Order: sequence, then structure tokens, then C-alpha cells
Amino acid sequence: MAEAEKPVISAELKTMMKKLSAGASYRRMMAAKEAGHPICVSSAGVPSEVLFAMDVYPIYPESLAAISAGIGKADEFFDEARDRDFSSTICSYTRCGLGISWTNKCAFGPIPEPDLFMTDVSLCCLHVTWWAYLEDHFKKPTYFMDMPATDNPDDPAYVDYYEEQIRGLVKFIEDNSNTVFDMERLKETVRNSDLTGHYWKKILELRKNKPSPASFRHMAGQILPLVTALGDKDPVDFYKAFVTHYENLIKAGVTPAEGGEKYRLIWNGIPIWHHLQIIDYFEKKGANFVWEPYTSLSWGNKTKSGRLDPENPFRTLAEKYTNVLSNKPIEKRYVHFDQAIKEYDIDGLVMFSNRSCRPMSIGQDEVVDMVRKNHDIPILIFEGDQADPEGFSWEDAKTRVDGFIEVLEARQR
Amino acid sequence: MISKFKERLENRHERCRELKKNGKKIMACFYGLVPKELIHAAGMVPIQLIEERNPEYDEKSKLLPYLCGLGRNLTGQIYEKVFDYVEGTMVGVVCDTNRHLLDIWVHNKVFPHNFLVRAPSRDTDAAVKYFAGEMKRLAGELEKISGNKVTEDGLRESISLFNENRNLFGQFYDQRPNTGISAEEAIYIFFSALVTPVEEHNDMMKRLLESLPTLQEDKKTRLMLCAINLNMAIDVIRMCEKYGASVVTDDFTHNSRYGSNNINENGDPYEALARGYLRQVPAPGIYSFEERATYIRDMMEKAGAKGMIYLIQLYCDAFAIEYAILKERFDAWNLTYLKMEAEDTPSSIEQLNVRVQSFVESLV
Repeated sequence: MAEAEKPVISAELKTMMKKLSAGASYRRMMAAKEAGHPICVSSAGVPSEVLFAMDVYPIYPESLAAISAGIGKADEFFDEARDRDFSSTICSYTRCGLGISWTNKCAFGPIPEPDLFMTDVSLCCLHVTWWAYLEDHFKKPTYFMDMPATDNPDDPAYVDYYEEQIRGLVKFIEDNSNTVFDMERLKETVRNSDLTGHYWKKILELRKNKPSPASFRHMAGQILPLVTALGDKDPVDFYKAFVTHYENLIKAGVTPAEGGEKYRLIWNGIPIWHHLQIIDYFEKKGANFVWEPYTSLSWGNKTKSGRLDPENPFRTLAEKYTNVLSNKPIEKRYVHFDQAIKEYDIDGLVMFSNRSCRPMSIGQDEVVDMVRKNHDIPILIFEGDQADPEGFSWEDAKTRVDGFIEVLEARQR
Repeated sequence: MISKFKERLENRHERCRELKKNGKKIMACFYGLVPKELIHAAGMVPIQLIEERNPEYDEKSKLLPYLCGLGRNLTGQIYEKVFDYVEGTMVGVVCDTNRHLLDIWVHNKVFPHNFLVRAPSRDTDAAVKYFAGEMKRLAGELEKISGNKVTEDGLRESISLFNENRNLFGQFYDQRPNTGISAEEAIYIFFSALVTPVEEHNDMMKRLLESLPTLQEDKKTRLMLCAINLNMAIDVIRMCEKYGASVVTDDFTHNSRYGSNNINENGDPYEALARGYLRQVPAPGIYSFEERATYIRDMMEKAGAKGMIYLIQLYCDAFAIEYAILKERFDAWNLTYLKMEAEDTPSSIEQLNVRVQSFVESLV
């Protein structure tokens, strides 16, 4: 379809995009500091619904690291880590995120002195050490959302323990700021979070359409509010407007794959932030990423019903945040791939073997074996790093994509 | 006497097979955060999985090249059925690799029984309560394997036996710098504890303490070694000795974790175990950096070590980040140290020679 025939992005959506951009998020943080609200260095996975209900403004070092890598401004943070003898075998988010903390600046400018630190223990062991270091080095009150490594996240005792952690978070904020907890506000942020997750899921569902109106590139670009503003009202409007936008694209038959969608693919792993153009390169060849565990299983309403219950905010948040993919056995992880391959009519799988993220990468080969055994689709495995471009060759990557596309092409002949 | 410790370590597999033949059941522990007392109380023998230098194991693990050598090596050994005598494994989480390797082992059904020790990272009352419950769950699982009931009294006895072993180690480490025990011998003494029934090792330790040789006058430069990998450590100890230095004290990830604290022998033994393990065993992120760095500084001081070597196994991100964090204190305290990063292969280790030589010479 010619460019001129594509449905235009509505003015309302454009406004929302501006309001929720990374730059705008940075400006909101500065304004929050000026208004006297506590600033908190937080990891993803901390129930941000609680933070928004208590006027705590989070800074997310992982998001800032991803943004810095995406716009080619991460080098000075990596250099800072290297100077302090942090080995390059340590996760690039950690090294870049610490660089941001040491230098007190991010890609958009200086960052205010934080008042609090908090992290979610379930993400990975490095997160625990990272935040333990922040606490030790910067001497600020720190809260660990404790979640033991488990192979049975559905265990009620486990969910109970985490629920207690959320209540502990409320107390921690009250003890270390002037904020007073208000249950009605928490219900409101959970309601917002629920709707945000609901619309996000709708977008993911729309990608089942052939052709899919959205690719992984869109999702990677639009995921930010889900990370940084969950609980706020704006993301609800943002994703709702995107649902309408994608519905319009479907009606118009628009797809990001050039020349029409020839191949429908899965991307497994975090995006390669420093070379997002790799996704464009796939699209130029007529390939479209229509499903990813990263966008589908790590974010949104991860409760069994797919919705949050604002009337029971602590329990519903506990159920949501304890549902962590990497805490599930490999067989259960495979089930998601199996379903997606069928439901999204997948032609091929691209696995990003990410040397920074061991929880995401360990077990990938076993999933690949299971996919090979049960589905007749080609698989491409990339090795690299999510944020550190060291050792990544764009030319090599393109050659590998070319080869993969040839295989897909040959199968469709 | 030392030869007995060395023999226990080197012939660990044969010994374990013999134990099994005699009706003992054996459970493998993946690193030091597994509460071995629980396994013992269920009438089984806990042994720790230990690395063994053999490049074939790394290759046979078929694991990602950027995962640490320890994990690759152990997985290779498991696939090669080196641990064919164990009933199963228990994993105490210290890093993402050891936590998620379990997923692969479970997927590949390498052992009949596999357990993840679901340990909180905090030591609040809620965490202790949760972990005490987890201990009870694990006790129930172990009972099913061994056929022996874990009683509270039995668990207290097991705690007492392991405390005794810890105390004997404490005495040994206090006296070691002033004895003729070499660093390599100390490694045999410690690592044999990880693969020998605790009662037997306690007897060996008591006999050793009664007969510790006295240090002859030694003019060598005294060093401390912090390391994780057994074989790499032995190589570096030998290098130090070759260049005229002597490693008089050490801090291995395994021995500091194993021997650092006693568990309360009174009251509810499950709660005691929970309180004894949560944030009490040195591991990155779940133990105070201040205490860890201070321990290293004090050990250097006590042993009269002029310098310290911090040996990191390449791709061990947990140990690497912990080093970078501790380094801030090492620098602030003006400790003299050398950090080295290598793989457990002869060629990678060989490259450390020059650096060790220069470091030792700089201290003379």
C-alpha cells in the first residue's frame, strides 16, 4: 500500500505519544522533584501502581540504559563502569545503569538526587547485588521487593509472602517520606493499570491479523509507558488510542513489512537496543515480527484471568507480579511458544542469545529443541548483548538475516 | 594426616559409591547455600558438586559459551554420569547461572530428584517464617527419598554436628598462618569437607588440630588468596610459591560460606536454620559488603599477609560484580591486591604467571 493511503496517526494519539515519550517522562521527573515528591531509583517489576498511588516518582535505570543504548549515548556510562573495574561480563543494563547513577545524568540531562531505592528480587540475582550496592554506596533507604527464586510461582504461600512485601513497601514509603497511604488512590492506580494492561493485550491480539499492523519495532517503541507510567491515567488513553490506530491499519491492510507481509516471525529476547535497525532490515525483506515473549509475557496483566481486581489491590498485584516467566520450568515456557506458533501462524523463529541476560538465555536452546521437534519452522539464533554493542557486527547480522530469509523464501516456493 | 584429606577429595566418587553400596543415600548440593543439616537429618549424606578440570566436560555441557566455567563443568560432569551415585540435587541460589541450570537439569531429567531451595533474600521475621516453612517442605521431600522421618531432635543433632565442623575450621583458620600447613594442603582440608560425611570429617579435623606442625622460620612474602575455583586456586598458589611467596590465608567462596557462622542449636530447628542461612552466608548481594571486605582485611592482618590476590573465573558475573564493589573498600583502606580474571584452562592460567611474578616482586 502506498504511503499516502496509510491511515494517519490521529492528533489525539500524537499528543499522547508526546506526553508519554522518554523525554517527557524525564521532564515529569524533574518537575516531581521540584514539587517535593520523593524520587526513587526503581527496577522494573516493582509494583509501580503503589508508587503512583503514593506520589513517588520512579527513575528506571534499565529503561534509561535501553534508551541510552538506542540513541548511541551509552558509551560514557560503560566507560565509567570499566574505570571502576566492573568486568564487561556483567550485565550491560547494570553497568550502564550504575554509570547513570555515578554520573547523576542520563541521555536527557542531569538527574536529581534520588531519595529512595527499591528493586524487585525476582528479576535476576544481579538486581539484588546492584541495589545492594546502591544502598551501600549512596547510603539511601532501600527496599527489596523480596521474591524467592521458585519453580512454583502459583504456590499460595509464595503469593502470600509477596503480598506482605507490597504492604511492606507501603510502610517503607511512609516511613521514609511525607507521603500517607490512601487505599482509594491505590484502587484507582490498579484500575488504571488494569485498563492499560487490557488495551496492551488487545494490541497484541490485533497482531494475529494477517497482515499484522504492528511489528516488534512498534512494540519496543511503545512499551515505555508500560514500564515507567503504569498506574497513571495517561497510559490508558495512550494504549486505547493505539488500539483504534491499529484497527484502522488493519482495515486499510497496512503492515510494516515492505511489499506485504510474506513471513510472520517470533522474536525471543530483549530487543537489541543498539541495533534496532535489525528489525527494520527484516521488514525490508517482507518479514514481520508478530509475537514476542518479552512484550506478551513480561508486561501487562499477568493474572490468570488477564485482569486486575482493583477492589483487592494487594492480592491482585501479588498475583500479577509473582507470575514471572523465568520462574517457570522450560516445558511451561515452551507452551507459550507452541500456542503462539499456532495462533499467530508463525513461519520462523529468531532467538536472541543475550549474553547480558542469563535468566532469559539459559534454557533457550532447550526451547529451540522442543520447537524443532514439534513445528516445522526455521530458527535463527543471534548472539549479542541488549545494550552493549561491543563485538556486534552489523554486516554479519545482515548476512545472517539474508540467509534466514532465503530459507523462508525457499519454503514458500 | 594431610594425605588423608587429599585422598578423601581425590577419591570422592569412589568413596561415595562405596557409601551408597553400604546403604547410604547421597544428595548433591549445588553451592554452599543448601542447608546440609536438613539432608543429614533425613539420614542422607550431603555432598557438594565440585569442579574437575577437564575441557571435555565444558564441551559436553553444550551450554552457552558466556556462562561461567563452573556451571559448564558441573553440567558436563553430570551428563557424563560422574555423579551416578546421587539421588538428586538441591540448588541454593547464589547467581542466575546456578539458579537456571537447574531448569536445564530438570528438563533433561539428569537426576531422579531435583529441588530448588526457595530462599528469600531478606532476613525479616516474615522472611524467616517463609523460609522455615520452606525448610519443612524440603524436609518432607527428603523424607520421601530416604524413608527416614526428619524429627526436630534429629535436626538439632545434625545442626550440632555441622556446627562442630564449622568450629573446627574456625580453630584451624586461626592457627593456620603459624603452622607449616601449605595453602594447597589447606585446600584439601577444606574441600574434603564438602564431600565427606560430617562425622568422619570432624574426626579428621580433631586429629589434625592435635598434630598441627609448627612453622619453621619463613622469610617468604605472605599473601592472601580470594578465589572461587579449586583448580585455578591451586595453580595460582603454586605460582606464588614459585616466585618466592607463600599464601598464608585464603577466602574461598565455598569455605567462607560454609564455615562462617553457627546455627542456633536450641528452639525450633527450622527457624534456627532459616535464621542461620538467611543473609548469614557470604554471597553476592545477600550479605553485607562491609562485613565481607572487613573479613578479608582482618584475615590479611591476622595472617601478616602483605598482599592479596583476587582470582575471578571468567564469566562468573556474580563474583566479578562483588569484586568491583569490594574494591571500593580495598582502595579506601590501601590494601595491596591484584585482581586477575581467567578461565579454568591451562592456557588461560598460564598467562597469569607474569602477573603473579610481578606482583610478588613488587612486594619484596
